[in-house]
Amino acid sequence: MIKTTEAGPTRYLSAALGVAWRYLHNLYSRPSMFIPSLVFPLFFLAAFAGGLSVVGDAPSFDYYDFTAFQFCFILIQASTLAGVFAGFSIAGDFEMGMGRRIMLATRRRSSIVLGYGIGAASRLIVTWTIVTGVALAGGMQIAGGGFDLAGIYGIALLSNVAALLFSAGIALRFRSLSAGPLMQLPVFIILFLAPVYVPKELLTGWIEPVATVNPITALLNAARSLMAGEPTGVLTAYLVVFGLIALMGFWAIRGLRQAEQAG
Amino acid sequence: MSAADEGITAEDLVREFRNGPRAVDGISLAVEPGEIYGFLGPNGAGKSTTVHILTTLLPPTSGKATVGGFDVVDQGPAVRGVIGAALQEAALDPHLTAREHMRLQTALQGLPHAERVSRGDELIERVGLEEAADRKVGGYSGGMKRRLDLALALVHWPRVLFLDEPTTGLDPQSRSALWEEVERLSGEEGVTVFLTTQYLEEADHLANRVGIIDAGRIVAEGTPAELKSEIGRPSVVVAPSDPGRLEDTAAVLERFGKSLPAEKGTVEVRLDRGVDELGAIVRELDAAGIGLASLVLNEPTLDDVFLAKTGHHLEGEALPGEDDSGDDE
Repeated sequence: MIKTTEAGPTRYLSAALGVAWRYLHNLYSRPSMFIPSLVFPLFFLAAFAGGLSVVGDAPSFDYYDFTAFQFCFILIQASTLAGVFAGFSIAGDFEMGMGRRIMLATRRRSSIVLGYGIGAASRLIVTWTIVTGVALAGGMQIAGGGFDLAGIYGIALLSNVAALLFSAGIALRFRSLSAGPLMQLPVFIILFLAPVYVPKELLTGWIEPVATVNPITALLNAARSLMAGEPTGVLTAYLVVFGLIALMGFWAIRGLRQAEQAG
Repeated sequence: MSAADEGITAEDLVREFRNGPRAVDGISLAVEPGEIYGFLGPNGAGKSTTVHILTTLLPPTSGKATVGGFDVVDQGPAVRGVIGAALQEAALDPHLTAREHMRLQTALQGLPHAERVSRGDELIERVGLEEAADRKVGGYSGGMKRRLDLALALVHWPRVLFLDEPTTGLDPQSRSALWEEVERLSGEEGVTVFLTTQYLEEADHLANRVGIIDAGRIVAEGTPAELKSEIGRPSVVVAPSDPGRLEDTAAVLERFGKSLPAEKGTVEVRLDRGVDELGAIVRELDAAGIGLASLVLNEPTLDDVFLAKTGHHLEGEALPGEDDSGDDE
């Protein structure tokens, strides 16, 4: 009988992939979990790009395609909420006791957060494929090239990571699904306090200064400029999202330490 | 090889919960490698909290503990590498099958890819779950869940195994199968087993040594035989046929030994000179005109040890005038 386990870094990755595998397995084997997370962005795409398409005809709206304009928001929103939903799974695992099993079996427990992160990012492949497919079927025009598109999906991916880390921090502190609104609500609010329907220049009143300081605005503007093939503010957007990841990473690890202290 | 190198040690372990009691109140113990140590106590005594500390799920408020030679606070990852644990509530995912649980556990423990399937299958077979291996765990019975939980705790060949009330709620057949497996692990593979239980029979049957815990403190420790010999003498329980003669019965019996708390309608005394006095007791009761409904001779049990050390019985059987104040862990 060989009585060995993998060495440190391989074991760390193995544990993270184990957590990710289970997350994806449970997500895709349970339609009740998977379908709502897909319907959500598709509903917004239909409502915004379809129902509000007349906004694109306004004289001061100078973006080349209203569906593409909305698609950038939907893509970031769907990616961000996918990160939040992974936080729900973490909280659920602690509530039902699986969190304890995972805490007991992993040597370095930060691999747990990494595992959920890998799972949350992996689920984006399906979400992106469907949302992009529906947007293209709805007549979306892509003016940017392949490099620009990669930049858009890169921003969306990093938004997902930041949201996952934020919600993981909440989930690990509360270890209960009752903390769900605390994960979802702030993300929802920050998303909708960005220039969702029209460019920031057209915003007036209290929302304009709020949108100016909202980090999501930088991500949206960069994504829309990439979609239009006229990149502006891309570096700033990446700096902002990496900054958010660093901040939320610290928040999540502190949450993990609190979970360890609570037992 | 000593407890400090390969087994379990604890020195003045304390765990206080915020606004709560001291769940663990200065526990010190040493479990030798390959030993089965039974941690016996009622609900709320601090058994599970102690296990959580030793398995690195919960840091102690103060004190020091090592498992497999590693400090539970400073070397948590190393401790987790040498332990397996099946905790009180079998933490299983109802949406996964037993085989999928094995896949997850072998990944979490970092087994080489080539060994994962064979190790999982081997353990599923060992705990007798081959037939149900591809069924979702949500449909398993309590006994099946316990067996799977034990198998999961063993995937990485742990040197130290923690079993927190492993047979609670199991039918006698499942309990006996689990006992056999625990004995095999200790006897054939040299695994150190730390077993918490509230069942006297379990501690008596399985444990090489027993620590009796009450209100967060170890009140007695030794082999079951040693502990029972501390109590030493048997007791006799007498129920007079006329309940009105209970005081007279007590007066007679107290000539033969120390009175013990007893069930309503009975008198119990620990016999000063053992079973030899039984004939004299019957004669004295007869001479006093006391008829007998029953007379039972009790050999010492671990419950007697518990009673002698704590003043109350183990399994929540509050005696007349006693309060059962055990709090849940």
